[in-house]
Amino acid sequence: MSTQNRTSTEDEYDILSQHYGGRSRLRQTLAAQREIFRGERLGQIGLLLLAIFLFVGLFAPLLAPYDAQEKLRTDDGEIKRMEAPSTEHLLGTTRLGRDVLSQVLIGTRIALIVGSLGAFMSVFIGTNMGLISGYFGGWTDDILMRLTDIIYGVPFLPFVIVLVVILGPSLLNVILAIALVQWRSTARVIRSQVLTIKERPYIEAARAAGGSDVRVLYTHILPNVLPLVFLYGAFSVGWAVIAEASVSFLGFGDPLSVSWGKMLFTAYTANAIRTAWWWVIPPGLSINLLVISVFLIGRTYEKVSNPELRERE
Amino acid sequence: MGMKEFVVRRIGQLAVTYWAFLTILFLLFRIVPGDPTTMFVAQGLSGEARKEVIENLGLNEPLHIQYVDYIFQVLQGNFGTSFQYREPVAGIIVTKFWNTIFLMLGAITLAYMIGILGGALLAWWRGTDREIVGLLATLVARSSPTFWTGIVLIMVFVFWLKWFPAGGIRSVGADYNGFVDKFVSVDFLYHVALPMLTGAIYYMATPTLLMRNTMLEILNEDFIKMKKAEGLSQYTILYKHAVRNSLLPIVTIIALVAGKAIGGQLLIEVVFNWPGMGRAMVTAVSYNDYPVAMAAFFLMGSVVILLNFAADLLYAHFDPRVTYE
Amino acid sequence: MTLLEIETLKTYYHTETGDVHAVDGVSLSLSRNETLGLVGESGSGKTTIAESINRILPENGEVVDGSIVYDGVNLTELSEKELQKYRWNDVSLIPQSAMNAFDPVYTIEEQIVEVIRAHRPDTSKAEARERAQELFEFVDLDPERVTDYPHQFSGGMKQRAAIAIALALDPPILLADEPTTALDVIIQDQILERIKDLQAEINSAMIMITHDISVVSETCDEIAVVYGGRIVEYTDTETVINEPHHPYTMGLRNAFPSIAEGDQELISIPGSPPELVNPEEGCRFADRCPFAEEECYEKTPQPREVAEGHVVECHRADEAEELRPEANKKEAWTEERPKDAAAGQEGYSND
Ligand SMILES: Nc1ncnc2c1ncn2[C@@H]1O[C@H](COP(=O)(O)OP(=O)(O)OP(=O)(O)O)[C@@H](O)[C@H]1O
Ligand code: SF4
Ligand SMILES: [Mg+2]
Repeated sequence: MSTQNRTSTEDEYDILSQHYGGRSRLRQTLAAQREIFRGERLGQIGLLLLAIFLFVGLFAPLLAPYDAQEKLRTDDGEIKRMEAPSTEHLLGTTRLGRDVLSQVLIGTRIALIVGSLGAFMSVFIGTNMGLISGYFGGWTDDILMRLTDIIYGVPFLPFVIVLVVILGPSLLNVILAIALVQWRSTARVIRSQVLTIKERPYIEAARAAGGSDVRVLYTHILPNVLPLVFLYGAFSVGWAVIAEASVSFLGFGDPLSVSWGKMLFTAYTANAIRTAWWWVIPPGLSINLLVISVFLIGRTYEKVSNPELRERE
Repeated sequence: MGMKEFVVRRIGQLAVTYWAFLTILFLLFRIVPGDPTTMFVAQGLSGEARKEVIENLGLNEPLHIQYVDYIFQVLQGNFGTSFQYREPVAGIIVTKFWNTIFLMLGAITLAYMIGILGGALLAWWRGTDREIVGLLATLVARSSPTFWTGIVLIMVFVFWLKWFPAGGIRSVGADYNGFVDKFVSVDFLYHVALPMLTGAIYYMATPTLLMRNTMLEILNEDFIKMKKAEGLSQYTILYKHAVRNSLLPIVTIIALVAGKAIGGQLLIEVVFNWPGMGRAMVTAVSYNDYPVAMAAFFLMGSVVILLNFAADLLYAHFDPRVTYE
Repeated sequence: MTLLEIETLKTYYHTETGDVHAVDGVSLSLSRNETLGLVGESGSGKTTIAESINRILPENGEVVDGSIVYDGVNLTELSEKELQKYRWNDVSLIPQSAMNAFDPVYTIEEQIVEVIRAHRPDTSKAEARERAQELFEFVDLDPERVTDYPHQFSGGMKQRAAIAIALALDPPILLADEPTTALDVIIQDQILERIKDLQAEINSAMIMITHDISVVSETCDEIAVVYGGRIVEYTDTETVINEPHHPYTMGLRNAFPSIAEGDQELISIPGSPPELVNPEEGCRFADRCPFAEEECYEKTPQPREVAEGHVVECHRADEAEELRPEANKKEAWTEERPKDAAAGQEGYSND
């Protein structure tokens, strides 16, 4: 056992000292990603699902059979209100005669934008907070962790709503509000990971060799917490998608765009859940599938990152 | 550090957190673009009346005086007057507060019951097909925002099976004698069932997965093997030792779950027309009734912070190894 | 009088690469009050033998063949539930490391009381508590501290507490799995002393597991030498120490200074333990044995009684008298072995 541990640490050291440059590390990181998903069926399903959503998001206007916002009329000029699915409208129409399928396809874009930007921002903030807090310790750590605690005291959705109401309902504000709260979980986990990593001999060696703090932090410690960063990145995408859908469902979303949450909001306020299942199920299921796909990806990272790490939040 | 010192220190931290939260709240409701008084003075008042209200609320004072004043007011439970109802906010929010708390406690309790049993089972089923099914079910539950779960439950249990009412907290014309009666009647249970289930489905994933992971670790511990060697029954080993040990981490995340619950709760209240704080807040925001919105936000944050605090103490109480650091 | 009779026991671990034959045809017998030593290097299957007896093997472990007869009952045929009665009441265990042997959320007392009352439901809590204190005194621990939590104990104290709880029900058989390896040398000695004293005071027979032959030589009546999941030599302690018949025993004896005679240098046995996944025909020690011959690679040696009550598994057991002086020389173990000796060695590719 002990010999095994020793060699793996030494390997890491070798890898780190050999590939000092950034580019080869990137390649290495990518190769490592492939390794991680090998043989992980659920993780692969997640990747596949996500790829489909990305495809749909990119080509939504081409894929959508109608303009998502257009009130469609029959030949005699009547609005096609709440029509059940047909060959013409695969998922039927809404109360205002809009094509549900087109709306779902276009809505993918909002979900992906909010998911990726929200996750990126919160993980970016969280990772840096965690790295700095864990690495420097002392009062820096005290202050940052106290701040994290305080953010943990902020009820998420109410905060997002208040912020959106104050700053005005726009997509960017929704994303900002999400990022401002969501970084907290990443920060905590990264910090505790950094605390153990910074004790490792090669980190101490790098410091003793005169590496600046910034350099040690970002070229030696960061690569070691990357799986965790990806894990929280994946989860954050899910949380952000759910948060955006929730805000939109309450009617505080971006008024100009079509999103799944907003579709459900209109369907709910139009009392359509009683009658028009085709208007309700597709956006809801889309939320489920997108979030599941990133959770499955996250789970795969969870297996390789710190085994002590548990599902939180 | 002893237990007493630990508690004292935690109380200190609680005070700091609380103060910071109050400050955030103050800032949030004052950084509104334009004239902050619009947030606290109902629209459509005549110039005279408007000035009077502003003076009453102290909105003409410098910001730091307003800040101190605000903290005192809030701590005394004085949140001003609702624009919408023209009544003191405190009176309006109190019943809603309890409606929210009861629904939330019910949902969390249910979620924990499902989570502890389900998580233990998942650990027990490790490597089988059942485990995969269970895990996927957990993931689906976790990936559904509460409003969506609520809508699905309404579609199934209300419109299709017609077992439960679509919303509200009590039947029209139902009478109650006092507080207790209100929350233990059959009519209440009939109304609370679906919203509670909705919440439980959303909150349960966290305790379930954590329970499972912890159980898997615990089942590998030497002492479990020793308990087996001691000839204790499987039941005793599983529940008295494995589950008991796995509870520790779960206790600490009650606060996290509750923090999440407060948000999810808000959506449930909207979907099921539950007269709670969350729905009050959403309505208030739509009507620009900022005093009510602020009070609701304050109370929700308080619940989260206090639960965080309680969870820390509970953890220390449950785990003899905690060194109170 | 025989208390426990193990016959051709086979315990395998099922793994992805195949079955690990951790115990592969082991026969042992234990009489009342006897202390039997199981010696062998790490990975030879000692713990597996012990865990097969009360069937607390890891999930992938299974007793696939053989019998373990205790007091006329074949334990391998009992259901999990039936076996529960025997565990601890008849066979208790001092674990290899007591570090995590106690449930951290209960006090030691609660855990002793629990096991007593699980087997003797008529015992009152107060009686069980009294017993717990008595046991603490017995292992030289302050009885007051019985209400402490496990984490409040040092490693040595935990090990003593583990001995205490093992004695709780006065079991006829006590399995001591390297009860001291996890501790520092001074504490090791103290605990061993205590165990030796206990042997006189209690009525339990004991199976003492260790990789340290000097420990067994001080405490045991009989010694079984375990190698690669088999018992290669099995007889009374004195004979094992003074007239070993198996080359591996001879090597082991050299490996420990307190046994090896006089001024001899400490020799350890080169090479690594045998592959236990689907092992092939032939003596498992042949790769490392200085006396291996062609036959050794082709045929698995079977247990042979070289004298009364002295069983050896070696093709050259009869030549023991001649081999012994050779085995005492360092060169015999360290020299490059002639190629032709390894002639029939195809398949043992991993050397
Ligand atoms: N759960 C398991 N799965 C697969 N192989 C196992 C398992 N447990 C033990 N083994 C293998 O079985 C063999 C015997 O192990 P065992 O623990 O019985 O040895 P031991 O003699 O007690 O060693 P030690 O002195 O190190 O305690 C070893 O080769 C070990 O690698
Ligand atoms: S059988 Fe052969 S190889 Fe095996 S121990 Fe005896 S002499 Fe050595
Ligand atoms: Mg062992």
